[in-house]
Amino acid sequence: MDIKKEIKSLLRHAELYKSQGLLNEALEQYIQAGRMLKKHAARIGNTKLLQAVAGRIRDLKAEIARIDASPDMSEVTEKAQNIIKEKFAFAEKEESRDLEGAVALVRFGQFERAMREFRQLMGREEFKLDAAKNIIRCHVTLDALDDAAAQYREWFDNEVLSAEELNKLRVFLQSILDKKGIRETLPVREPAPTVRPTVVEDQGVMDGEIIMPELVEVEVVGEEISEEEIIDISSVEITLEEGPGKGRTVEYDVSFQSGRVINLLISSSDKTLIETLRTGLELKKVHFYSPIAMFNGEGVVFSKSRIESGPKQGDYSLDIQIQHIR
Amino acid sequence: MANINLKKREVECKIVYYGPGRCGKTTNIEYIFKTFQKQVTGDMITTETDGDRTLFFDFLPMGLGKIRGYDIRLQLYTVPGQVKYSATRKMVLREVDGLVFVADSLAVRRKKNILSLKDLHENLKEYGLSIFKIPLVLQYNKRDLAEQGIPLMPYKTMERDLNRQLKAPSFPASAVKGDGVGDTLKTCIKLTLKSLKKQMGW
Repeated sequence: MDIKKEIKSLLRHAELYKSQGLLNEALEQYIQAGRMLKKHAARIGNTKLLQAVAGRIRDLKAEIARIDASPDMSEVTEKAQNIIKEKFAFAEKEESRDLEGAVALVRFGQFERAMREFRQLMGREEFKLDAAKNIIRCHVTLDALDDAAAQYREWFDNEVLSAEELNKLRVFLQSILDKKGIRETLPVREPAPTVRPTVVEDQGVMDGEIIMPELVEVEVVGEEISEEEIIDISSVEITLEEGPGKGRTVEYDVSFQSGRVINLLISSSDKTLIETLRTGLELKKVHFYSPIAMFNGEGVVFSKSRIESGPKQGDYSLDIQIQHIR
Repeated sequence: MANINLKKREVECKIVYYGPGRCGKTTNIEYIFKTFQKQVTGDMITTETDGDRTLFFDFLPMGLGKIRGYDIRLQLYTVPGQVKYSATRKMVLREVDGLVFVADSLAVRRKKNILSLKDLHENLKEYGLSIFKIPLVLQYNKRDLAEQGIPLMPYKTMERDLNRQLKAPSFPASAVKGDGVGDTLKTCIKLTLKSLKKQMGW
């Protein structure tokens, strides 16, 4: 083909690809056109065109960089948030869907709205503690540990949570603060004195508060586990059973937990680990650490995605589904 | 499986438009929103980011009338096509009942189509679903661009690349013009309802 025609064709394709939003493909065409213009500069002698193509290449590169740097988790409209809340809750029990809907908002990065939903759910006795923990988790995910601690203190100062619930929350948050090296000791709510019932026997009613032990014994779970049975996992230790790091043991903090799915953030520098932990990989040797105990168990890599923006850009977000704990 | 509310006698089916970035998934839904107004039961919700790219999903609710006394509701979703939104694609795919795979006919997007179909296959597997069994329709979009002189893949090549094993119904389309959009959707609905009837024992 005639050189001039070939260059013209490349430029026309570049424009068409650009109009389709295929910026990388458009860039490739401009680069090829630019090379040909340079190579045959003596024959063609169109320096203005070469300058124009260089300008297009520059603009396209800037546009691609801008799009790549755009946040993955922008706040969306309230209508879209409502869809996330209503349509991404799949629990069979209708009453559990409200909590799951709020958790779905977190998974789509809608933290402010999620926290509003969790605050509302705190008004429902059955969700109070889970909702409170999830508010703390939102603050932790946003790297706002001061806010998490302030939130705990606010609950400590008012009567929203019982002493037992506050203590569970304290154990949960304190372990996170300790792990992050934050020197803050959360206040402990002393249990209220047990009041002997004054009502007649056999009515089965106690008008005093029943004091539960601070840490309930964790039930040993055998095979399949339900969302409700999962306790809070603060960190995990995984023994790699394949890949170049076979036999190596790695420990990671849990950045977020939704039922039996835990989320870990893996540093981009740990390439071997990122490659080994492929989606679908079964992890046969996992130690799950909770604030109160350690369990052995198994999990499966549920999803893995690269974080494209924000302070953890380049790192990987890994979801592990807990399959068994014993 | 479809969400069945026995009390309200409602069945909710979820159809997801899957495919590589910029292949025209959102354009399909936009055209359906404009054209099938009788069936559309609510607003189209989009979550777009810079450069008209879908961030999380598009959503369009539709109503198909009654079957055996059950109100059949349809929810159309798109997934974000960009490779980096892998986790979101997987979330949107959860509990899917029917699929439209939108492939880009541009020759330069050949590899992206194949990778996206592979990604769909993997994600379905993780939900215990088979790409060979789920109601699936393929759409070869942007056929109109041939008029503008952009190199397109021949229909046969696309069939060989994407549909050799699947043997799913496939349609050439131009979502911008609306060509093939209705046929794609109607065929997917037909297959999805057929599968639903089987599940419900109707």
